[in-house]
Parts: sequence; C-alpha cells; structure tokens
Amino acid sequence: MVNGYLAETLQEALAIRARENVVPYSGGTDLMIEPDEEATYLFIHKIPELKTINEDPEYLRIGAACTFTELLEDARVPGILKDAVAQIAAPAIRNLGTVGGNICNGSPKADSALILFATDAKLRLASTRGERTIPISEFYLGRKKTALQPDELLIEILMSNTGLSNYYYKKVGARNALAISRVSFAGILQVEGGKIINCMTAFGAISDVIIRHKEIDALLVGKTLDEAKTVKKVYLGAYDQAIAPIKGRISAEYRKTVCMNLLRDFLETNGI
Amino acid sequence: MMIEFTLNGQTVESAAKANTRLLDVLRHEFPLTGVKCGCKEGECGACSVILDGKLVNSCMIALGFVAGGNITTIEGYRETERFAVLDKAYAAVSAVQCGFCIPGMILASECILAKNPNPSEGEIRDGISGNLCRCTGYNAIVEAIHIAAREGKGLW
Repeated sequence: MVNGYLAETLQEALAIRARENVVPYSGGTDLMIEPDEEATYLFIHKIPELKTINEDPEYLRIGAACTFTELLEDARVPGILKDAVAQIAAPAIRNLGTVGGNICNGSPKADSALILFATDAKLRLASTRGERTIPISEFYLGRKKTALQPDELLIEILMSNTGLSNYYYKKVGARNALAISRVSFAGILQVEGGKIINCMTAFGAISDVIIRHKEIDALLVGKTLDEAKTVKKVYLGAYDQAIAPIKGRISAEYRKTVCMNLLRDFLETNGI
Repeated sequence: MMIEFTLNGQTVESAAKANTRLLDVLRHEFPLTGVKCGCKEGECGACSVILDGKLVNSCMIALGFVAGGNITTIEGYRETERFAVLDKAYAAVSAVQCGFCIPGMILASECILAKNPNPSEGEIRDGISGNLCRCTGYNAIVEAIHIAAREGKGLW
C-alpha cells in the first residue's frame, strides 16, 4: 500500500519502525482528527502480541492495541479501568480506539491514562535495540510529548493484579456521551487490618501532564482512618499548594475548585 | 499496491493512499453516498459503517486499516431481512425526519440488536449515544428499536 505498512508480526513492525519515519497507527481515532497527508502509517492492529491480555502472578498485561471495547469485555480488567473506559466517547469510537493509542497520544485528558497513573502502571516498550519497562509517570514529558523513541513501540501495559478494588473515579465533562474531560480524578485507598496500606491518586485534564503526587498520598499511609482524619487538613493543604491547573476552555479556578471537591469527596467516601 | 477489502459482500480494491479517510473512499470512489459526512471528528456518527461486525466511524479510519476487512454500509444492509424490520419499525413511529443521521442510526440499531436481541432502554441509548440526531429528540428512535426487537424475533 502507498503511505502505509500493515505489519503482521511484532518483529516486522519493529524493523519498519527502525528503518523508516512512520507513525504507529493502532486505532487511529486521535490521528484521524487531524490527518497528515504526508504521513506514512504503520498499522499495528493485527499484531497478535499487541492484541492479547495476559495475567501473571504480579501483573495484568494488556496488549497496547486492545480496543476499549475489548477491555470492557474482558473479565480480568479491573473495575477502575472499566469505569473510565466505559465513559470514553461512544461505542463506535470505543470499537476503534486503543489503550496504547490513548497513552501515546500524550494528552493529559486521556481517560484510560489517568487510571494507569493512579495505579502506578508500567509500560513495556520495544525496539530492535531491545526492550525497557518504565513507570507511566516517566513516559509523559509534557503536553503531547512522550518518552517514546522514534524506533520504539508501546507493547504492553502492566497493571498490578492486586489492591485496586477499593477505588473512586469521577470524570467531569459537559455531557454524558462524547465528552472530553474537564477535570478527572481517580483514587485508590487500600485498608487492611484497620490501617491504610496504600493511597494513590491522580488528576487528569488540568495540566500539561496527568498529576500524581506520591509524596502527598504517603501522608495517609500507615494511619488508621481516625488517624487519617487528624492529618486530613495537612493532606488537603498539601494538594491545595501542589495543584495549579492551567486555563483551557474553562478557567483554572473552576478546575482547582473541582479538583479539591473531588479529593475531599474521595476521602469522605472512605470515612476520612 | 492496491488495498483489498470486502464491501457489502463484494471483494473490492482501491488504489487510494493508505492514509486516506475511509469515508472519502466510500463516498467518492465507490460511490456510496448513504455514508454521510457530518463532522469528520468522530462526534456525529453520520458516517457509521459496520467493520468486521462492529460499528465504527468511517471518518476516523485510514483506508490501510481496513485491508482484508469486511465492511457493510447502509447500501448493503438494506438488502437484508433485518433492515426490513428496522425500516418498518422506524416508519411506524415516525422516527425519521430529515434523514441525515438515519443510515448511521440504522447501522447502530443493527449493532445493538446483534449484541442483545432484547436490549434494555439503557442499552439502546448507550448504543446510539454516538449518533447525533437534531430532529427527533431520540425518543422515537429508541421506541423504533424496541419495536424492531419485538417484531424481529429470531432474526437477531
């Protein structure tokens, strides 16, 4: 085909990626909004390794070219990711759009990427030079800027197999279907034996990249719910300092207020 | 260098570049003008077609993506018994006004019923949530899909 390669194997795709200037095309729904007539696409949606979901003792390993519909139909995908994916666009887009594309597009509004930030997911990247696995937070360098090298492909997303069941997720948009997030928030609070053993939160759509402050969330870890109440003010104060939304189609003030409301609601829902 | 795929049951090929919008290829080359162009950004669903059994927006697809795939547009779907049931159901409740969204809406209806022959109202509304209609207010369309589910027993 002219201006395109249809890769059938990962080896073939990586070889083309190493030798030519191609744009990886997974579901295409972000690329086709502003199509580049000069672009040569590397179609990767038929590569078996990129289309499968596997489980090992530690991780759920999601192939980067799995569509949102495929994630919704797989019983092993955690509820926190499904809740976010179910609210992306509408069925016809969810039938095309993929989790890997959502990540590699580099948008801070990417609804699946928010969940992967909040759960400290890892990304497995490959090229003909070899492979590397990095935390998703290291993948986002700035607005639409990622750490993906010109010869690399995102192969798999690694999500923890445990500890994700008690979650909170809210997407604030202008309507139900086909809405782009104005503010999105995801939080996980893991309580065991009366103590908080893990707290993870992330804010989407408010800045150039998705916001995740592990050091602030650590304030709650090791505390009982009652003890957490005593540091609640400090915790919220730290986020109040740390979050500085940028103005987009809506004001920075609105975004900030919604962020703090969602964070407070996340705590209150968990009895803090 | 041709890109081959199945279109409404026939094997066809296109010499267009792999990065061309499928929507433009369908409308201009074949020319299947039942595939409507509303927004070119995946918002309106007027360009919906069925690709390998799934509803997709043809404006959001580059031609190279469908190599080897199977596409049904309204022109092919209207030859089916299922279409006849939907056609009658839409007419029964006046679910068509200007008609621009209807090719996409009918294909969305097909995908809803193919997934669940007895869909709930919520499933119907989710199934057509990517197909905008500025005339009807949707209620008549939802009702039509309910009627088709009832009248088309055994077809889906």
